[in-house]
Amino acid sequence: MNAWSVSFNEPVHYQQGLDIQRRLLKARQENLIPDTVLILQHTPTVTLGNRGRANYLLKTEEEYRELGIDLFHAERGGDVTFHGPGQWVLYPILYLGGNEADSHGYLSNLEEIAIRTLGDYDIKGFRREGKSGAWTDAGKIAAIGFRLKKWVSFHGMSFNVSNDLMGFNTIVPCGLVGEPVASLKTILGDGCPAMSTVRDSLLNHFSNVCNRELERFELEGDLPDLLNDLIKG
Amino acid sequence: MSVPQDLFYAKTHEWVDLNDGIATVGITDFAQSQLSDLTFVELPEVGTMFEAGDEAAVVESVKAAADVYAPVGGEVIEVNMDLEDNPELINNDSFGKGWIFKIKVNNEAEVDDMMDADSYEELCPAD
Repeated sequence: MNAWSVSFNEPVHYQQGLDIQRRLLKARQENLIPDTVLILQHTPTVTLGNRGRANYLLKTEEEYRELGIDLFHAERGGDVTFHGPGQWVLYPILYLGGNEADSHGYLSNLEEIAIRTLGDYDIKGFRREGKSGAWTDAGKIAAIGFRLKKWVSFHGMSFNVSNDLMGFNTIVPCGLVGEPVASLKTILGDGCPAMSTVRDSLLNHFSNVCNRELERFELEGDLPDLLNDLIKG
Repeated sequence: MSVPQDLFYAKTHEWVDLNDGIATVGITDFAQSQLSDLTFVELPEVGTMFEAGDEAAVVESVKAAADVYAPVGGEVIEVNMDLEDNPELINNDSFGKGWIFKIKVNNEAEVDDMMDADSYEELCPAD
């Protein structure tokens, strides 16, 4: 199955990312585009999931503003999380309601992408029973939360590469009290790979795990007209 | 994966059991299996009027939220309150105790646009 991916080099405001996803979601529901994966970084943002509890926010709205962190209620599953530059966010817009659906399920596939990506850098990643996401011995490194509308997915997974983890100190990540958060940088130090290298790892594993051949685009490059219109609104 | 013969199915993986103008609606075994263990169900309010295809409910697992659509139009006359405390009924018995809401159907002919069990099975992945 063929799919598209679009990578963004500059951090994207959360609202802008959401607007792009919604346009792609609608186009995918109407079968105007193939499955499409966005891979991007956000400007600093804390998001709460659909059932996310505000008591996992450790700052007031005013304090978040002063720290330069935007606050959003997202309609995805999952609890509270933090996004910022140096973290890759994967937003797959995939039709999951047909006979090509993977019996392992989409959640498991997202975790598998993170675990295989960690493997590329000789880091042991694992799942934890009853807790979604990908973990390392140093802490949680990938967070997951998605929504299906007419069985097309949006939102997705974030993966910490070299982001400033201080933002996670302003929340109780995923509602898990006392659980450390890790990044490739905290584990590998100076050996941390470049963002573009990790992006390619994530897309390679997406392609294998989700069984989709990716035609890869960069925002700054030549996009198919329809994709260009949907992304730029 | 079970697909009962006597129900109608929507492309968005809802089922309908039509009896005396009342449609009982739930999500299929395939749908619940893709969402894994459900933790919350946002139910519609009794008295709400839906047209076929309207967003009617939301089912949530630990990390996923999915919209449930009204397969036929009409008025919601009952919702499954047991799901408030026991959303896992949908996982355990999606075609029975896991029903979500009942609609007094405006136009019974709308089920003609839905699939029968055999067509629905073709839409789902082989086991």
